[in-house]
This record gives sequence, structure tokens and C-alpha cells, in this order.
Amino acid sequence: MIITQIKQRRKELDRDKNVYVPHMVLVDKIIEETPTVRTIHFHFKDPELNKEFTFEAGQFAELSIFGVGEATFCISSSPTRNDHWECGINRVGLVTAALHRLGVGAEIGFRGPYGNHFPLDIMAGKNLVFVGGGIGLAPLRSLIWNVLDNRDKYDKIAIIYGARSPGDLCFKYDLDTWEADQSLNTIITVDKGDAMWKGREGFVSEALRDAAPSSRNAVAVVCGPPVMIRSTFPVLEQLGFMPDQVITTLEKRMKCGIGKCGRCNIGNLYVCRDGPVFSYAQIKGFISDEY
Amino acid sequence: MEKELRDQAAKLLEEGTVDYIVGFASGTLKHTTTPLITGDKDETSSLVINPFISNNLATYALEISGRLGIVAKGCDSRSIVSLIQDKQITRQDIVILGIPCSGLIDLKKVEKLAGKERDEIDEVVVVADKVVITVGSEKQEVPAAAVLFDHCIGCELQIPQEYDFLIQGPAVEIRNSEASREKIKELKQMSPDQRWSYWKQQFNRCIRCYACRQVCPACFCERCFVEESQPRWVSPVSQWQDNLIFQAIRAIHVAGRCTDCGECERVCPVDIPLRSLSKEMYDLVGEMFNYKSGMNAGAPPLMTAYELTEVESLIR
Amino acid sequence: MITKKVSKKDIRKLLGTWNQECNVIVPSRVDGVVGMAAWDNQDISFLDWYRNTVIPPKSCFLPKSEVMMSFKKNENGYNLEVPTNEHWQVIFGVRPCDARANAIIDHVFAVTYDDYYYISKRRNTLLVGLSCTNPYDSCFCTSSNIDPTESEYVDLMFTDIGDDFVIEDFTGGGKALLNMSNTLKKVTKADIDKIKEVKAASVSKIKKTVDTENADRKLGSLFNDTDYWERISAKCISCGICTFLCPTCFCFDINDEMIRKQGARYRGWDSCSFRSYTRMPMENPREEKWRRVRQRVCHKFEFFPMNLGINACVGCGRCIRSCPVNWDITQVIAGLPAEAGIKSGK
Repeated sequence: MIITQIKQRRKELDRDKNVYVPHMVLVDKIIEETPTVRTIHFHFKDPELNKEFTFEAGQFAELSIFGVGEATFCISSSPTRNDHWECGINRVGLVTAALHRLGVGAEIGFRGPYGNHFPLDIMAGKNLVFVGGGIGLAPLRSLIWNVLDNRDKYDKIAIIYGARSPGDLCFKYDLDTWEADQSLNTIITVDKGDAMWKGREGFVSEALRDAAPSSRNAVAVVCGPPVMIRSTFPVLEQLGFMPDQVITTLEKRMKCGIGKCGRCNIGNLYVCRDGPVFSYAQIKGFISDEY
Repeated sequence: MEKELRDQAAKLLEEGTVDYIVGFASGTLKHTTTPLITGDKDETSSLVINPFISNNLATYALEISGRLGIVAKGCDSRSIVSLIQDKQITRQDIVILGIPCSGLIDLKKVEKLAGKERDEIDEVVVVADKVVITVGSEKQEVPAAAVLFDHCIGCELQIPQEYDFLIQGPAVEIRNSEASREKIKELKQMSPDQRWSYWKQQFNRCIRCYACRQVCPACFCERCFVEESQPRWVSPVSQWQDNLIFQAIRAIHVAGRCTDCGECERVCPVDIPLRSLSKEMYDLVGEMFNYKSGMNAGAPPLMTAYELTEVESLIR
Repeated sequence: MITKKVSKKDIRKLLGTWNQECNVIVPSRVDGVVGMAAWDNQDISFLDWYRNTVIPPKSCFLPKSEVMMSFKKNENGYNLEVPTNEHWQVIFGVRPCDARANAIIDHVFAVTYDDYYYISKRRNTLLVGLSCTNPYDSCFCTSSNIDPTESEYVDLMFTDIGDDFVIEDFTGGGKALLNMSNTLKKVTKADIDKIKEVKAASVSKIKKTVDTENADRKLGSLFNDTDYWERISAKCISCGICTFLCPTCFCFDINDEMIRKQGARYRGWDSCSFRSYTRMPMENPREEKWRRVRQRVCHKFEFFPMNLGINACVGCGRCIRSCPVNWDITQVIAGLPAEAGIKSGK
């Protein structure tokens, strides 16, 4: 039986290292991505932290507006570009609505980085298939830029991204860059286009099926709403991807972000601490289907 | 009574008239019962009727899909009727197995009289209008009224009015509406300051388990106002001010629906005297609108119906 | 080690000595509800009526609500202030079930990241256990391999042998507490015999038992049996009593409050019984009641054993005593089919 001897913590517990106390960050720039999604660019108020802070693609943070509360966001900028940091914010609740009311210069709280990260070591030397939907591009984008900044380490790269409508496509400036990049196979699709839309229509899973990237020596990374993830797994299986070749991030309601508060518990795991990045092989082995 | 109920329940399941029977079975602790929800006619043999059948089973009518046969005391039958009035359930889906009730035993009162906790008390038996409490070799006989729930003493419907089957049995007259308002009277005699500090102390220990809301058949909102964050009506943090506001708003929300079944107070794990709020509201509704909730399935519900002749232009 | 004893009439003196050095917390009954509260330096009547608390002692380290930090907005931004918990406290009267429970959640709050609020209070606390000689009919600690008169998770253990309490000390902190007092007496051979008697009698008073052996395996194979969980959960009303009163339930929520330019961040108990607990804007992985009931049972008896090698139910019986519908965890565990035919996992 492993029971922690709390008395041993006497020396180790440092009030200044209280993990719940956020660092202060300042908002530098706000980009309105869609009517409900905006990206905020920020840096730390403490100049030392600006130099020291590092993270890995796939990790997340707790952003807080004092007096409103905290919410969980993945860091959507690339770890290779540490001059500032970015988070994509979908307006769905109390804290995200408050984050949408912010202006440049606002001071907010930041705790993190938390969680595990995408396995770049496994992805090295492989063909990569990125499949994203809606705001799910935020964590994927961090990884994609990380990979593109070390382009020669990876083989063929396909990016398949979709949203409900052209107006819901996030990070359009990135999409334009990737589409123009001849070394990438970038496919953008929308569930339903509008009068101006000249691109592809249809679900992401269908675009993936049509693109039919080879599963040989490949890793697929899937991020998006659960309904998209659930429809994408079978297509990848048909394309010959084994469960351990498919990687995704899970989204759960979180409060603490560090495996204490309990709500992201799934089986014996905590998504915040043991995830949020999991392989499809791991997910298939979960005790619970509550993801 | 039990045999008649069991036979009737088994018959309803056997004939397929109902999908489930909701009644009471013996509990796992002394002097307790537990809701029995079953579609198996053999299990109806464990149905019981005794002075410990406290739960208001109408709550389950909101949740379980299918046709239900619900065992209902007078107060429960009123809650069912109230839910029908509010169109939360349909009369056709419910078979009411009415049972006469001579009042339920409040174990807190028994504990006080016996000076022992409930598991240390061997027996609590009702004999007509008396209750015999046995602890070891000691027997104590007290008037039933001394150990019945306050809301039982105030009962206005010991035999259900609305039912499909009425199990025959005695209903010993227990009504003493004065005594059932004893706590409220005490509160009213306090100065506003005293009353304020009284409630402050009570709500200070509220742990926000929401058992009061969850057992209440009148609390049928899909999403409770305390869970709303935009706007946030009440803070989710357990502080006495917000705990009090939660109960105050809840009392208003169930006005005209509350049948004074007393469940909110009984289930409170920290003994907050919630019935003092709900019963006062119940009596106010009676005084102001001459309305008794759950007495007439055909009547329009008090708070959600209006007429063109209403005085308030806001409603009209 | 059993070294000393203290006469019951000297307990006030003993607690008084400790109270000069640190805050003494004792069982207290307010409006009929028993919890742990600061001692008034006088009243020791709890020795006569105390069996166990309604609110578990976890509330001394994880209160139902507490301030995590207060904040004030000024022209330079926000100024954050974190409350300190540097005072020492002695909790007198912790039952062995709750002592084990504290040790279990200690792990949660110390693994990977130190939880400042919990640990800063916990590390400054000495636990004085009190043998359970009058358990409730809902107590089943022996089924969790707990002896109601023994604990390895307290600093001192007191056992009632009539006119005296025999004291066992387990830690340096416990010894220090004993050294502070001059009201202690030496134990005699007769006392040792007496304590053995009391211990045996106390164990035999626990009448409720349940076989928890292999509960984790059985639950694993039942996990996806929706019909089973729907049946088991039918009468549950989804209130938070069983989780809030459970000494090993530790889930919490974090919320902010702000009036004008001042406010605070609070944390308070939360419960997996609530539908809102896992609700996200677009979906809720535990919308159905049976999933929430399954979560509670499996977290205690399957997930905890997987991670810690111990089930997280200590058999204190609070969830049974206070349940509005008499939903009895021992019945559920006892009723687990011995050989379930369903395979585990998806």
C-alpha cells in the first residue's frame, strides 16, 4: 500500500510554489478568428518568466480572469516560437465570454503548462497526417508549426482540416500559408459552403477518406469535436492505421488541471495529469467509454 | 394492508398494466425503509407499509419512463396530482396505489425522548394513538403526536383523494395544525435581528449537497437556477448568505406546488429546519390564494395559469 | 507503543496544556450536528456522547469552502494574496476509519504536485485517535481491514478502559504531546489486560460486514453492464450527501467572486453525483444517473485499488446513515455477481 507520509512534505512545501497561484500575463494582440473564436497573444508580466517559460506542443494551461474564474485552454502557439504565447478561445461559457470581452493590455492569470504532450520523438522520420476540426486546430496548430520549424526531420505531411461553414474556419492565415507550401498536402473542407465558397464541401472524415494518406510509416494526429473524432477513427482504420499510429487529445471539464479536483477522471486516469494526449490504442484500452 | 398492497402490485405487473411498481421495502438499518422500484412481480412481496415510509415517491414519477404504479400516502398523492397539474406527468401513465396514513415517525424526536441514537433503540411501535419505544429492557410509552413529524401533525390528507386503488386500513386522526407550526411560531416571536442571526447560524452549516432539492417532487426544473452561470444568480460557494438565498428562491419556486411532505427537512444531513420556510410559504399560499396544492388534478396550477381578469397588468 | 494512561477527569487538563501551544480541535455538537470544531478550553462532555462526526475530519484540511487567494485590482494590475496556515493544531477524537481516510487523501493531494492548501494544514496537524468502542449499526470498518481500536495513521491513540484512557504513541509528534503534560500515569499490567479486552469487544461490536475481496475485479467485469447499473442506481436521487460526508471523497470546485475591485477565489466540495459536475458546453460524459453512480462505486472500489492498491472505502458508514433513500454501498458490493460473464474494457 502506497500512502504518502505527509510529514515528509514539511520541508518541501514552499508557499511561493503554490501551484494554484497564477502568473500574470498581459494580452498583446487579439485576433478574431470566427464569430465565436478569438486568439489572444500574450506574454508574462515577469520578464524572467518570459525568458524561462517553456512548454511542449499539446500541453495546456489554466487562464483566469480574476473575479470570473479559470478555464482550460491548450497553448496554440508553437514551442519553437517562444517570443510570445497564444491561446484560441471558443466562447461557450462564463470564463470564455469574459475572455472575449478583454482588450489588448488586459492582465489575466496563467497557470501551466500542464499535462503531457504530443510524442514528437515517435513522429520523427515519419509521414504525418494531421486531421483537425473547428477549434480543434488550436492544439494541432502548435504541433504543426513545431514540425514545420524542423521540416527536415519529417517525411510527407498532410493536413486535413474542416469546419461547419467557411466562417467557422479558424487560423485562416495559417491555412493560407500551408496551402501555399508545396511540401504539404493541405485539404480544407467545410460541412456546408456559402455563395462565396469555392473549396471543398463535406465532412472531415470524408475528406480524409478521399485523400487516403498511406498508413505506411505514418502517424495520424486527430483533434476536433468528439463527433469528428469518433467518425475519423474508423476511416483511419480502413486506411490501415493501427491504433497506436493514431494520436488525439481529449477534452474534459477541468478545474485544477493537476489531478486533484477529480472531474476529468476516466477510469483510473486523470485526463489533465495522464493526458490530454492519448493514442487511440490507449483510449481503446480505457476502462470507461466516458470520453 | 401490506398483503392487499402486495397482491395489487403483483397483479398490476402481471397484467402489464404498469411497467414498474414504486413502493417501499425494509431498509438496511433499524427503523428505515427504502424505495423499491421493480418490474419483477416476485419482488412485490417485499413491499411494506409502516410508520417509517418517509420518502415521497412522486419524485420518481418524473424520472422513470414507462407506466408506473406508485404507492402513495396522502402527501405523496398530492405531489403526484400537482405534477399532473403542471403537466410534468400524465395521469394515464400513473396508477396510484393509495394508502391511508396515520403519520410517520420522526426518529429525531424519538432519539430526543429516549436519550439514545436511532441504532441504539430496539423498537418503535405504534399502538393506536400511542408509540412504545423500547431500549433494552426499558419500555417508554408516549403519545404518537410527540414523535410524529411536524408535517404529519399538520396533515390535511391522511387518505389520498386521487387514486386508482385505495388499500383499506385505518387512518388515526392526528391533525393538530397549531402544533405543526410550533417552530414557525417560535421564529415569529423573535425580533428580526434574532431571526436573522438564527438563520445565519442554520445556513452557515449548509454543505450544498442539494438533497433538499433532489428529493423534492416540486423541484422538477431540468436545470436549476443555482447551476446557471450566465447570469449567476447564486454563488456556487457555500457561504451562508448564498445558501439562504438558494433556499429562499427555492421556497418561492415551489410555492403552489409544495404539499408540505417535509422531505426537504428530513433528508438534510446537517439538520437545517427547512420546513419552517416551506410550511410558511405553504400557509401563505393558502391564505393569499385560497389554494391547496395537489388537491385537484383538474384545477389550473396556481403559479403558471392566469386569467384575463387578473389584477396584475404584468401578467395580463 | 503503550506507555502512559490518563484519567478521564484529567482530560480537560491535558487538552488545556495542548491548547496553550496549538489549536485543539474536538468533536462538537451544534444544533444536533456533530463535527470537529475548536475547543472552548472547557467542555469535555463529548467524551460521553461522541460516537463519530457527521461531517468527516477531512473538513479540517479540505473545508466545504475556503479562500484560495484574494485579489485586489489597482493601477498596476492585480495584487494576489494567499492565506497562510502556519498554526499548529491537534485534532482529538479521530476514529481509526477516518484516520485511514486522511492517509488515503493525503496521497491525492501530494502526488505529482503538492496542494498547498491541503498540505499546509495537514502537515501542521497532529491526530489524536480515539478507539471506537460504540460503533453505529451502519459501521463496517472491519470489512476494510480496519480495527476500530487501532490505527497506524495517528500520532497518539486513546483507548477507553473505564476510568482511564490508555495512550499509545506512534510518532515523534505524539511523544512531544505526551511530554508536554504532567497529568499522565504509568500503565499497569492490569491496564494492558483491560485494553486487550476492550479491543476484542469493540471489534465484535461491528456487526455489518461485507466481503470486499475481489470487488475491483468484479466491478471491472461489470463495468459495461448498463442494465446492472441502471438497476443499482434506480433509487438514487443524485444528491451530494454520500460524497460530501465521505471521508475519502476529495473532489472540489474552484469559483471566483468579485465585488467592485476586490474578490477572492474559493474552492469547495464538489460531487460526482451532480449532473453538472462533468457538464461541458457541448456534451456531458456522465449525463445519465447510472454513470454517476457507477463512477462513485468504481472510483472507491476499482480505480483506487488500481492506483494505490487499496480500496478507498473505510467503512465509516456515513453514506448509509445519511442517505435519504437508504442506498447502501455494502448491499451493492455484496450483490456483485461472483462470476460476471461480461469482459472488461471496451
